[in-house]
Amino acid sequence: MRVDLEDLVFSRGSFTLRGSGTFGAGVHLVSGPVGSGKSTLALLLAELLRPGTGAVRRHDVLSALLLLQFPEHHITCPTVAEEVRSWGLAPDDVLLRADLLRRGDDDPFHLSRGELRRLTLACAVMRNPDLLMLDEPFSSLDCVAKREACRMIEGRGAGITIIFSHERAVLPRVDAVWEMEDGALTARGSVPDAIPSWRHAPPYLAYALREGARPENIRLSDAREALCRTRG
Amino acid sequence: MIDIVDLRHRLVDIPYLTVDARHIAVIGPNGSGKTTLLSVCAGIEEPRAGTVRLLRRPPSAVKVGWVGEFPERTLLFSRVYDEIASTPRFRHYPCRETDEKVGAAAVKVGIPHLLGKKVSALSGGEKALVALAAACADDPEVLVLDEADSHLDAGTAERVYRVVQESTAAHVLWCTQSMDTAAGADYVLFMEGGLVRHHGTPEEVFSALEETCFYPTMWRVLR
Repeated sequence: MRVDLEDLVFSRGSFTLRGSGTFGAGVHLVSGPVGSGKSTLALLLAELLRPGTGAVRRHDVLSALLLLQFPEHHITCPTVAEEVRSWGLAPDDVLLRADLLRRGDDDPFHLSRGELRRLTLACAVMRNPDLLMLDEPFSSLDCVAKREACRMIEGRGAGITIIFSHERAVLPRVDAVWEMEDGALTARGSVPDAIPSWRHAPPYLAYALREGARPENIRLSDAREALCRTRG
Repeated sequence: MIDIVDLRHRLVDIPYLTVDARHIAVIGPNGSGKTTLLSVCAGIEEPRAGTVRLLRRPPSAVKVGWVGEFPERTLLFSRVYDEIASTPRFRHYPCRETDEKVGAAAVKVGIPHLLGKKVSALSGGEKALVALAAACADDPEVLVLDEADSHLDAGTAERVYRVVQESTAAHVLWCTQSMDTAAGADYVLFMEGGLVRHHGTPEEVFSALEETCFYPTMWRVLR
């Protein structure tokens, strides 16, 4: 199972996005500044935008799902339970997973931001698509909700998961890191080898590297463990 | 000086709080009442009960600049110039002064090149900078930022931080989910369930939060 970007070029106005590479099974993090083209790349990978030249080729990917940055943009039904059913899922299972039991009859817009994110993320993870793309899944969540989102992402079994995010404090365990800058996509490679060349690494990770530590992954706990090892 | 007495509004319940610090970070979980507190302090909402005084005056008598979390939902005008000019125009400044204030605010935030653009053509980060320029256009006495950094990358967030530090505002009330940003404030309010659970210097507040994920990541690795 994989998605290949073959000399992808997409232009809009003065902005041009370029990318090549392969997204294999596992969790990928695409980081980069706001406005660098992360959302545009997500739309191209989801085949909601067509590239000018080049191609996105899916191999053995039978289902794909893009979770938009604002979870309210996914809402189509007047109650939480109906919303879950609209994803083709049983409300009881999803509401248990999203810790929203007894909220089934509520208007989805009466859920808090964190609850709504938990709902859409639980729906997406339980649909279990071969290719799951998450556009800024952590923005405007508090750190507790970010950790829950990370657990859901890490708990996903097989498949390709691609996270587009500028998050710099709470991150999940990932398998590969990519960077977007001014429309150019760069593959930093597999974790942990990719970490030293990751330009947008969060401050705690950059600090650990400066101290000579070699974190095994990108989470705060990985940075702390690596620092403990160097400090003895 | 910010003085709050017997404030009850929606879920916010603050019997007594007085803060004499410039940069005040407001932190806490989603839904803990941070935005509600900021709205009352900015004079956007009248509290159901109690009083809030900024610089010993009611909020409505104070020049407040507000930057919301979702600028694209709150920007009113289609051109960047008009959006920033709305602050002096709504205060009935003559055209020449308005133009000077727009130019100065754009320079302060580093976006003179955007003045002729349409708001719809801007990136999310640029829209946040326009909202900040509009909030700063008439030198607010109090600057209020409601998770204005949630959708910003590190570079843009640092620029916002610098503009806020350099502003002439007597108070900056800044609600953020970045604890590393909050750690740089003069004073921190930690809210939970509508209450101010902890308040004090960053050292005092974060020492009470050391076992939680609200502890700044940099403090965690430096420890």
